[in-house]
Amino acid sequence: MSKTDDTQTPTTAGTRTGTGTDRTSIRVDDPIMEIRNASVTFDMERGESRVLDDVSLDIERDEILGIVGESGSGKSMFASALLDAVVNPGILSGEVTYRPRGDAEVDVLGLSPEELRELRWEEISMVFQGAQSSFNPTITIRAHFEETIEAHNYNMEQAMAHARELLSDLYMDPDRVLDSYPHELSGGMQQRTLIALSLVLEPNVLVMDEPTAALDLLMQRSILSLLEDLQEKYDLSIVFITHDLPLVAGLADRLAVMYAFEFVEVGPAGDLIGNPTHPYTRSLLKAVPNLDTPLAEMRPIDGMAPDPVDVPQGCSYHPRCPLADETCRAEDPAYHSVSPDHQSACFHWEDSAEAIPLSTGGDERGGGDGEMRAFAGNQSDEPVVSLENVDVHFDQVADGGLLSVFQEPDTVHAVDDISLDVYENDVVTLVGESGCGKTTLGKAVIGAQRPTDGTVAYRGQDIWEAKDSRRGADIPYEHIRRSLQMIHQDPGSSLNPNRKVQASLEAPLKRWEPDMDPDDRQERILSLLEYVGMSPPGDYAQRYPHQLSGGEKQRVALIRALLMNPDVILADEAVSALDVSLRVEVMDLMLELQDLFDTSYVFISHNLSNARYFSGKAGGRIGVMYLGELVEIGPAEQIINDPQHPYTKVLRWSTADLDIEETVEDPPLRGIDIPDPVDPPSGCRFHTRCPEAREACTREQPTLGGHGDGTEHETACFREYDESHEYWDSEPVVEDDADATADDESGSWGHANE
Amino acid sequence: MGTVKRTEETDDRPPASLEETIADGGTIAGDEASADTPFGTVSSGTMSRRDRYEMLVNEWVVAPFKILWSDWRARVGSLIILAYVLMGTVGVRVVDPPRVGEGDRLVSPFEDLSHPLGTDNMGNDIFAQIVHATPPMLEMIVAGAVFTTVMAVVVGTLSGYKGGRTDQLLMTFNDILMTIPGLPLVIVIAVILEPRSPWLVGVIITVNAWAGLARAIRSQVLTLREESYVEASRLMGISTPQIVMKDIMPGLMPYILVNFVNSARSVIFASVGLYFLGILPFTELNWGVMMNLSYETGGALYTWETAHWLLAPMITIVILSFGLILFSQGTDRVFNPRVRARHTSAADPEEGDDDMSGEVATHIRG
Amino acid sequence: MINKYYIERTAQAVFTVFAVVTMTFGMIRLMPGGPVSYIRSQLVQQQGNQVDMEQVNALVEVYTNVAPDDPLYVQYLEYMTSLLQGDLGVSMFYNDPVTMILASAAPWTVFVMSISLVLTFGLGITLGAVMAYIEGSRFDVSTTLVSIFLNSIPYYVMAIVLVYILGYQFNWFPTGGRVSSEVATGMNLAFLQSAFYHAALPIASLVITGFGIQALAMRGNSIRVLGEDYIRVARLRGLAPHDIALRYVGRNAILPMYTGMMIAIGFMFGGSVILEEIFAYPGIGYYMFRGIMARDYPLMMGAFLIITIAVVVGIYVADLTYGKLDPRAGSGGGNREAY
Repeated sequence: MSKTDDTQTPTTAGTRTGTGTDRTSIRVDDPIMEIRNASVTFDMERGESRVLDDVSLDIERDEILGIVGESGSGKSMFASALLDAVVNPGILSGEVTYRPRGDAEVDVLGLSPEELRELRWEEISMVFQGAQSSFNPTITIRAHFEETIEAHNYNMEQAMAHARELLSDLYMDPDRVLDSYPHELSGGMQQRTLIALSLVLEPNVLVMDEPTAALDLLMQRSILSLLEDLQEKYDLSIVFITHDLPLVAGLADRLAVMYAFEFVEVGPAGDLIGNPTHPYTRSLLKAVPNLDTPLAEMRPIDGMAPDPVDVPQGCSYHPRCPLADETCRAEDPAYHSVSPDHQSACFHWEDSAEAIPLSTGGDERGGGDGEMRAFAGNQSDEPVVSLENVDVHFDQVADGGLLSVFQEPDTVHAVDDISLDVYENDVVTLVGESGCGKTTLGKAVIGAQRPTDGTVAYRGQDIWEAKDSRRGADIPYEHIRRSLQMIHQDPGSSLNPNRKVQASLEAPLKRWEPDMDPDDRQERILSLLEYVGMSPPGDYAQRYPHQLSGGEKQRVALIRALLMNPDVILADEAVSALDVSLRVEVMDLMLELQDLFDTSYVFISHNLSNARYFSGKAGGRIGVMYLGELVEIGPAEQIINDPQHPYTKVLRWSTADLDIEETVEDPPLRGIDIPDPVDPPSGCRFHTRCPEAREACTREQPTLGGHGDGTEHETACFREYDESHEYWDSEPVVEDDADATADDESGSWGHANE
Repeated sequence: MGTVKRTEETDDRPPASLEETIADGGTIAGDEASADTPFGTVSSGTMSRRDRYEMLVNEWVVAPFKILWSDWRARVGSLIILAYVLMGTVGVRVVDPPRVGEGDRLVSPFEDLSHPLGTDNMGNDIFAQIVHATPPMLEMIVAGAVFTTVMAVVVGTLSGYKGGRTDQLLMTFNDILMTIPGLPLVIVIAVILEPRSPWLVGVIITVNAWAGLARAIRSQVLTLREESYVEASRLMGISTPQIVMKDIMPGLMPYILVNFVNSARSVIFASVGLYFLGILPFTELNWGVMMNLSYETGGALYTWETAHWLLAPMITIVILSFGLILFSQGTDRVFNPRVRARHTSAADPEEGDDDMSGEVATHIRG
Repeated sequence: MINKYYIERTAQAVFTVFAVVTMTFGMIRLMPGGPVSYIRSQLVQQQGNQVDMEQVNALVEVYTNVAPDDPLYVQYLEYMTSLLQGDLGVSMFYNDPVTMILASAAPWTVFVMSISLVLTFGLGITLGAVMAYIEGSRFDVSTTLVSIFLNSIPYYVMAIVLVYILGYQFNWFPTGGRVSSEVATGMNLAFLQSAFYHAALPIASLVITGFGIQALAMRGNSIRVLGEDYIRVARLRGLAPHDIALRYVGRNAILPMYTGMMIAIGFMFGGSVILEEIFAYPGIGYYMFRGIMARDYPLMMGAFLIITIAVVVGIYVADLTYGKLDPRAGSGGGNREAY
């Protein structure tokens, strides 16, 4: 796929191996693990593939070491190397030394199979990304614990007691979890259970490979805060591997940034975030959507990460680096000490701050706001799509069987009584945890989901009436259908794998412009491909989806939607599956095309940073959903900087920012797991988890209301009601933590509200 | 609008003419004038009708053939199948039909060149019998396999794509049909109907054989239906038949083809078995009839002398069914876009590396 | 959730039997050339043209439990009632109650088929697992080829070859019957030995031609499971290899084979018609064949019904054990749904 990537200098892996300079390894005072010159290679037809390149690093006792890198940077290989668990046919060379307290050092790579078996899980343990796929689906959780304990000849009773304690530490009911089968637990519970399983033999080192990547931000953040508690309680050294720099920034003691199969910068978390010296680290900080960096400063990194067979000679980052010169192209830089414990593999580490300016500090938000266009005034007065009291309820019916005809179905309230207007050139971002109904609401907006109650109107014409009547509608259904399009979440399934890009893009044109000349059709497609940066377009048009990267697939999906010339595009987590550094790029492209095509977006995200970037940049709104209800909606920066609803505050808390002074604190929440949407709580649905909940909340449901400040900021919470509301007189629901309900809400919020 | 603050670098990327291009694209609806507006930015030129035609041939004829040929199982399998098809089409013209008393009785095989496989107890040439039994056999196989596949695809796709009540009813019916043991049901129907046309026999034999396949296709359709690209097509207003044809069916093709071949094989098994038992009426020459005659009247079981009479049709069946299995094992690759991409653009040596880099990626992630 | 699964499977089984019974009624009554015209023509042959319709109808009722001059729904009710009482009519050929004939034959068919089923799957699963573990080895490649080849042989061809060579030519195995006439019926060793001796060739023909495809299926499943993350995690957790092989690979690879098992049950029981005829083994299939040859409709339909019920019960039992083995059954995530 790299053949069109002209930014890469072609080199061979062979020449690269020879240039390895004798790098200073990064040492710490009391290492629990030392990794020296570790490499992992695969023999492939095209040559040797080096997916971990001569890496040296120490892990300090009782520290949390965050390892950050994009997908394909070799970070998972590093994790596997720590346990000598590189998958065949990969070959691991170098040294990995484990130093248990007091004992002599252990040469991990020289152990016999039995010794290695004992080292794993008893001393060094690991948590994997996909919790669901880490469990045997046919045996209970209890069996997983018991077989592990048995295999290592631990005392069953004591170890199981420890397992229960761990599960309780992770906010779960041990009995329920142990008796469950893996598929009966939610994703967040599975991941926490996996953490408990990895700690059951009381290891000293815990290696976590993207342990939270598949989870909601809120769950990620909750797990992180629990992890910090566990680390203190059990004296763990944790290696936390992630692609998400802001996530780990507040948690880790030290950070190591990986690029192209080696560490480019290592240092204490504070230094690395506050004073990054490697150009890649700096660019990464700018590229990652977060809540702090001014929007205007966020910028994607140009170019692509190198192929493991074809790593550029010299500094592997030089093709993408603005500071690169002849030295960088010829020589592999050694580590330069920024400070005794902060090292950077860059010749120009002293100049990088100037070349790639970065503002992380206290007053950045003011700077960002100036560039925002004003919220009111740029949208039409008349909404394009208007939802009124829309309900979407799903009946959960068992699969196709004989008896399903007679069953009483469970009703899931995916969307409950929501009204929303989408204007021309509007951007509305819907955020919330998975299962909150944001996708369903989005689909209702574009007429892809028939509401069970309420109306969805396109320019005043009820969409479903138009569809059912066919004739007689003011605006024919066909026109409405064209005008409302969608981009899906998963780039892997957004394009038909059996059709070439050209065929996929021709389909909408053939449908709506059957008379169009084939040459014109092709030209239109090629020019759009070129416009979104897929060059040469003729080559891309003839590719199958599997020959495209995730970002390229999303671009094609975007073009396909735009070919319909739609009024509204639903972008369902359209950038979530992309690498962090690509997200800003794709979001920029979407906004740019909005300008050209006069399109509105309904953007769905579980990530408040992406929501802020997307809605903020276009001056749009953010709507916060919880269990099928819209609990708060308003202009992007207001939602981010001045959240009113307790749930929005929780989401705000869950979105890690780059402020490393902040440690991960306990979540402002009373329960980690979302209630069952089949049987939502009475009254305000959030009252079961809300720190501010009072007795009134359990009975009555608050409605969306404005703040009387002239903006369109609305919140569905009794705390926004005036003082005569019974909420203020009723008893707090919080039994043990009365302080949390004090009127001074900012007290528990401190830095988050500034 | 245009008040959106864009990053400088994306700002200066689009050439001036692009604004027009996109704006033009923005007024697609009914704008036939756009046909006259060339897109200045297109560099690669356009394809002539002939190029396009060649590309289609390459994509749909040449490439699948190349892929088939690259797998030894598919290669051997298709050669065997081809041999039988030739036997049923050309063979019947070349080889004279068997006649009573054309040779001595019970000539052993490989002794007399005019009777390569020997003769039966009436002096009929066995090789000629086998050759002339092929056309009705092929008709039966095609009828059965087509019937199975069409029924299964129609019921499975309808049930899976429509869902709801249609799905429930179809699947309840389907499950019952699936549970009834095929052979006894076929026997009962055959006894009652006494079918004579090979086409009809093929259909009767697969009377409920399609049900299992229909269920399998349904569950595949259920998965495919949830794919984003299917929803995207639906939202683009593309009609359901079009979606089924373009988005659903290609994903099912490997599965359908493999099952088409497998049902062909089970038609052979069942029909020969039924002719052998004498349950289906003897109308024409048939491998099963040959077995029946040698078994019942020739007393093949008691002597070695008639063994070849019994063995010849049995070996004929085994080889054909072996060829069909090999073929089905090797064909699913034809529909794999990863393999296709390699074979349609054979001129591009780098394409082949795609799978490999994918492999590395999985290693890294793993 | 699991309860729902069981209830649904039970209902499905009962409903299938009901549907098949209705179907046999329909076929007997409504199809041309059914028993009524057959019995009439038999009488015509015996008595010349002086056939009394009343006599024909009475005879038909004796044999088939259905009086042809009653209205259709009455016939249907009568048919169903007698079936519920276990009355399948009277065989015209043997002149014995069909129920009696089949009751004595059924255990033998079940005996042969269940042993064949167990051996086919036991052999297939073991072999497939071994092939997967040494994927790509010479053993794997050659076994794959042999499996494909054996699977291309129809079981009745194998049966003929076996009975021809081992039965008639070498006289190593009996060529007919359930047990030797010399042993006393009962649970004694000689009887069992003789029973196995007589069943050996039928079982062998099914197993030899059947295990290959199961081995290939198991091989494919195992290779897929071996690539799953949970296998890697289990190894890192230090579980013993045999635990991983059995509880992890084995269990997860075998579950999807239940589909194949359901199909095999129907296939084998259905095949008993041909197989038992070749080995002259008096089981249900044998009697069904006799019934067909003699145009003995009550016997034929009775045998068809019993075979179907045997298959429905077999599938039902397999379904229930599947529900026990796969915790995801019934929640829509089970492997079996994927067939």
